[in-house]
Amino acid sequence: MNNAMPREIRLNAFTSQTPVHLSPGLWRHPRDQSRNFKSLRYWTELAQILEEGLFDGVFLADGIGINDVHGGSPDSALRHGAQVPKHDPLLLVSAMAHVTQQLGFGITATLSFEPPSLLARRFTTLDHLTKGRVGWNIVTGYYDSGAKALGRATVTAHDERYEVAEEYMDLVYALWEQSWEEGAVLGDRASGIYAQPEKVHTIHHHGKYFDLDSIHFTPPSPQRTPLLYQAGASRRGRAFAAKHAEAVFVAGPSKRVIAPIVADVRAQAEQFGRNGRDMLFFTLMTVIVGETEAAARAKHEEYQRYVSPEGVLTLFSGWTGTDFSRYPLDAPIVPAEVDSAVASMIESFTVADPGRVWTLRELIAHNGIGGRGPVIVGSPEQVADELLGWIADTDVDGFNLSYAITPESYRDFVEFVVPELQKRGAYKTAYVRGTLREKFTGGGRLLPPSHPAARFRS
Amino acid sequence: MTKEIRVNAFVSTSPVHQSPGLWRHPRDTSLAFTDLDHWTDLAQVLERGLIDAVFIADSIGFNDVHGGSVDAAIRYGAQVPKLDPFMAIPAMALVTEHLGFGITGNISYEPPYLFARRLSTLDHLTNGRAGWNIVTGHYESGARAMGQTGVVEHDRRYDIADEFMSLMYALWETSWEDGAVVADSIYVQPEKVHRIKHAGDYFRLDAIHLAEPSPQRTPVLFQAGTSPRGRAFAATHAECVFLSGPTPQTIAPRIADIRRLASLRGRDPADVLIFAMATVIVGATEQEARAKLAEYRRYVSTEAAVVIFSGWTGIDFSKYRLDDPIPYIRKDNAVTSALDVFTVADPDRVWTLRELAEHNAIGGRGPLFVGSPTQVADAIETWIEQTGADGLNLSYAVVPESYADFATYVVPELQRRGRYKRSYAPGVLREKLYGAGRSYLPASHPGGAARTVAFG
Repeated sequence: MNNAMPREIRLNAFTSQTPVHLSPGLWRHPRDQSRNFKSLRYWTELAQILEEGLFDGVFLADGIGINDVHGGSPDSALRHGAQVPKHDPLLLVSAMAHVTQQLGFGITATLSFEPPSLLARRFTTLDHLTKGRVGWNIVTGYYDSGAKALGRATVTAHDERYEVAEEYMDLVYALWEQSWEEGAVLGDRASGIYAQPEKVHTIHHHGKYFDLDSIHFTPPSPQRTPLLYQAGASRRGRAFAAKHAEAVFVAGPSKRVIAPIVADVRAQAEQFGRNGRDMLFFTLMTVIVGETEAAARAKHEEYQRYVSPEGVLTLFSGWTGTDFSRYPLDAPIVPAEVDSAVASMIESFTVADPGRVWTLRELIAHNGIGGRGPVIVGSPEQVADELLGWIADTDVDGFNLSYAITPESYRDFVEFVVPELQKRGAYKTAYVRGTLREKFTGGGRLLPPSHPAARFRS
Repeated sequence: MTKEIRVNAFVSTSPVHQSPGLWRHPRDTSLAFTDLDHWTDLAQVLERGLIDAVFIADSIGFNDVHGGSVDAAIRYGAQVPKLDPFMAIPAMALVTEHLGFGITGNISYEPPYLFARRLSTLDHLTNGRAGWNIVTGHYESGARAMGQTGVVEHDRRYDIADEFMSLMYALWETSWEDGAVVADSIYVQPEKVHRIKHAGDYFRLDAIHLAEPSPQRTPVLFQAGTSPRGRAFAATHAECVFLSGPTPQTIAPRIADIRRLASLRGRDPADVLIFAMATVIVGATEQEARAKLAEYRRYVSTEAAVVIFSGWTGIDFSKYRLDDPIPYIRKDNAVTSALDVFTVADPDRVWTLRELAEHNAIGGRGPLFVGSPTQVADAIETWIEQTGADGLNLSYAVVPESYADFATYVVPELQRRGRYKRSYAPGVLREKLYGAGRSYLPASHPGGAARTVAFG
């Protein structure tokens, strides 16, 4: 890598429409506004802060279902607001778009549960209304509670979920890329012709999981297919990302965990005939920054006082599938005596101090903020060093930036870190014009010919 | 004090709604329907006119009766394409404070659990201004877009809709008790959140609602049933009923019937607010209004009007020449009322296809009130009196001009007569419609009853 000209760091804000996203308990902090997640003004203010900081996008998480691993019921998740309630992220977009010009939107939608023609219409609508600023984070339903909510006995087996997803993608690509030719819409006041029917094609799809005979309900939007995000870390999920994703979200506590995932997905993309460099990787990160290191550390300590241990364990129980309510908080954890999911979680969080014996409470105190990603605490210079180190050592393109408290964490980042990164030539000083895809790839507004969606074009 | 006249604005996320060809008018902004500003500007125009709610039509599927294909509808933009009607609402809510939103959602195709969450989210984000227009899928083309082999038979669609509604009420009204969210030392009291277990004829669900209770819990319920089964559904569930017909004689009996049916179900018949479709073309003087109408008419597309008329009636009029007289045709399983109402209204007249299409080309199947502010206000008052409706579902000739004109000319005249609000009532949409303290559905409504049974 050329040291004189570091590559541009990409930034998304990683959030969701819940009282707690990745920092349980911090909604009780006096300056935190998480409780306003039901208010439009909270979201439009956040969008404006992010655009002021030239963030590439806001990435809105979602999941259909409730974390009910901890204690075997949703009670703990409810008590701590741990990603429940969870409201529909698609409905935030138009209001946030109204108060911004350039900010992108990465919106999670679960293809396992959404009828394809309706999902396709929703994203086309949003891409129109935002003038091409929309991305779709493709997820498959993984909560059993979500499957039951949708009237199914259990969640579809993991690998088959991806088989369904492949067919689903073919279907929505056909609607987005093939149904309406370029130039189909005339809107010609003189002739009275709105669109040329010979350039609008009925999609006929009869597959293993889906049937459809229809035109797409809406004319093509600026990007046609929204920018495609994906976040699968499993073997099958990585292959899916390598084939379809333009932006990939990864999460892990250390560079050692992230670097091989990035390398693997980029390499797999080449096997699909794509350029692995065309994909942007965002790794989960939380930054606590102040004018000085001391100020940042003081802030961190202050935040930590609000961490909710049970809330943290509820999230970890969901992620690992292990019910942490079974373990005492203050007993030392002997890796050989806990099950493997717990052992590997502990290992991943103790890389900094591998010889130490931890209690669950201590682990929580150190890892209660920012979920499965690292927390960087320091002065603007220290944070910039650390972020650039991550880029250099893992080959990610940027960060999915979580928060300790909101919107303060984002405001601090914009005030302290953005200027420092700009000074180092590692961050844009103005947005590139155009759609989200143009901003991300430097290419056109449509998916490139190497992408599997391109073959659907007439 | 005479009764207040309610007004909703009746629009759709399509280049043509009820006035085919008028998108070509130089002052019409319909073609900008894919721009967010088009919707936020409209919302502000409507709020200036103290409009109760914007009612956004939608349907899953296309008008493909004319010529047996969707081609003609595409050519004229005749209710094709259509955006998702929910997506622009949050931006419209951001630029307004009181305007309500009645959004069409199709129970035949939306997964209930996700749909319930979408409406709850919207009701939160709008501070309780959400309404849902309940429709079932009636287009074969819509069924095929959803991977189904055909449309479910009409009466059974309403059986399915009844079950869908009971599921919605369970999620919205009974899953989370009032006071479940404390946001103090803990966020939620889990003992006040209840799992909904439903195993019915058409739906299964086993979950707590994913959204916390919104200001209205259940959004204000709109419905537009015309058939006998549809009317029974409306009388059971709807708080606002939308209907359309060209004369008071055609709709007064339907209005009376819906109120009677509501009463039989233990509801206060006055709780069902009826909005009849109408279009207003108004100027400072009668002459000005007539000139405006003449000008609008120059932009009517007769061909597009025939396409829309084919869709309403289920009759493929591509087989008829424009100037041939239309024989009396009856077709039983589509929206039959469209043709009936014209022959009933004026049974002796022989209509040509051109006359029929053009007659309805501005403002669709509702009446057209044209004149000075006084004349239009007179016509509206007479219409309300003769039909028993509570208000109008106001369509447009040219958008947003028709709504701006209504706000400028008609609203002050109706206010002067004590028939129109001078400011919005405070509170959520349901309180604006029914008065303070009515945030939730009343116990006389099946949704309110579900809550009462669960929590007393």
